[in-house]
Amino acid sequence: MRDLHYEVQHHINMRQGDIAPTVLIPGDPDRPQLFASLMDKAEKVTEKREYVTYTGTKDGVPITCTSTGLGTPPTAIGVEELCRIGAKNIIRIGTCGALQPFLKPGHMIIATGAVRGEHTSEELIDMEYPAAADYRVVRALVDACKKLGLPYHTGIIRTHDAFYLESPWAHGDYKARLKPWVDMGVLALDNESSTLFVIAAMNNVRAGTILSSGYSILEEHPEQDRIHAEENVKKMVMAAIEAAKLLDERGLA
Amino acid sequence: MSEVLPEKQEGESDMKKQHHIDLLPGEVAQTVILSPDLDYAAQIAGHLSNSKVTAKKRQYATYNGEWNGVPVSVTSTGIGSPGLAIAVEELIMVGAKNFILFGTGSILQTWMPVPSLVISAAAVRGDGTSREYFPLEYPAVADWMTVEVMAETARRNSVQALTGYVRSNDALFAESIYAGKINYLKRSKPWIDAGCLATSNEAAALFTLAAVRGCRAGALVFALSSLKRPYTSTYLPSGTVEKAFSEAVRTTLDAASALASFNN
Repeated sequence: MRDLHYEVQHHINMRQGDIAPTVLIPGDPDRPQLFASLMDKAEKVTEKREYVTYTGTKDGVPITCTSTGLGTPPTAIGVEELCRIGAKNIIRIGTCGALQPFLKPGHMIIATGAVRGEHTSEELIDMEYPAAADYRVVRALVDACKKLGLPYHTGIIRTHDAFYLESPWAHGDYKARLKPWVDMGVLALDNESSTLFVIAAMNNVRAGTILSSGYSILEEHPEQDRIHAEENVKKMVMAAIEAAKLLDERGLA
Repeated sequence: MSEVLPEKQEGESDMKKQHHIDLLPGEVAQTVILSPDLDYAAQIAGHLSNSKVTAKKRQYATYNGEWNGVPVSVTSTGIGSPGLAIAVEELIMVGAKNFILFGTGSILQTWMPVPSLVISAAAVRGDGTSREYFPLEYPAVADWMTVEVMAETARRNSVQALTGYVRSNDALFAESIYAGKINYLKRSKPWIDAGCLATSNEAAALFTLAAVRGCRAGALVFALSSLKRPYTSTYLPSGTVEKAFSEAVRTTLDAASALASFNN
């Protein structure tokens, strides 16, 4: 049988040694460039399809950023390949649809687990299996937010596939569709995290997610369109970089 | 420890008492150790200072006392998620906020020592109770701070504990060494391949219920049997099981008192 671990990975176009122990994964292929601008120095490693990779250092700590594209199918491919070439920590960075009324723009959401409302991870393992973030990554993200003075919330989020069924621009009554999750205290919606958590756990890799929040998508708000201001996204990426440094400092990278 | 149940006060109404656990509001500490095994509950409670039985009904016995100067309760739940869910719901109604499950289970990985202590970070939802409550895609995740406190407590006590996922299910005789004609190894394979460390019947129901009710929950699994050998201490060096058990109890109690100092 071929040992896939030593080959150049088909989609992310990298092999062992090409990434730092901690990898940040945004969905948006433009975001690795924002990541690079916040590092002391960083260079593009490769680009293929939606998988764009930059690696750099911040205060001497090497960190990689690989975009996965939006949605769980390409995320699963990217995460699986990153696990195969030696990633130790994978942190999803991104935006979300906030679900609770106490969430506001500028708040950070740190996922402790994710509802598996997508199908990709179900093809890998039965739905009974939990999509959970690693508590040490959660701790690093919490400490990073504290250090940077960013308001944050920890809790369970919901990952799903069909954006146009559960968003302010959705078909039909998206509020009714979301109500059970809101009642269960789910903080926000994204389109990638549960797949990341399942695949990382199955590969013995630590994973976590930090998301930049907006106003609850269940409320009408005049500024609803501006919720993902670049400034807040930038703070979120800075928190993830800080968390990567803390993981390294704690011997977890 | 007093085994005498308190006399019912005059005029005290049974109506206010929770139907199964037989406790009134305030008759439980903020932090509760849950033990599916009734004997283990009594043994754990025996370590508490000023320990007394506050209530006893069906499989539910609740002991109140102190550990490290902090109020801690121990409640027995009986085996399985249905009985545990009742206890958790009722304990929350009388004031409980933090839960640590002291579970027993089976070792799932061949590289693990016998016995093993497993701190559960999350659980596979193979049980029926949590399905009736919440859609299956909702994750059974332990409270991350509770996991952190338990791992830190074990480290501080120089206790070897592994942190990882556990498999919860209902039918012991379908998925354990005790199974009859059912191919339990085949049933267990997906969870073993996914890296689950041990079984714990009740963890998934506890984690989901506690998370949705806004409470903290964690679980320590004292794993004695494996998929190759039933629970027996006969092939182990004398004292091995007793030592592991007392380490597990100590870790659970220390973690419980540490949790109790959190602001909820």
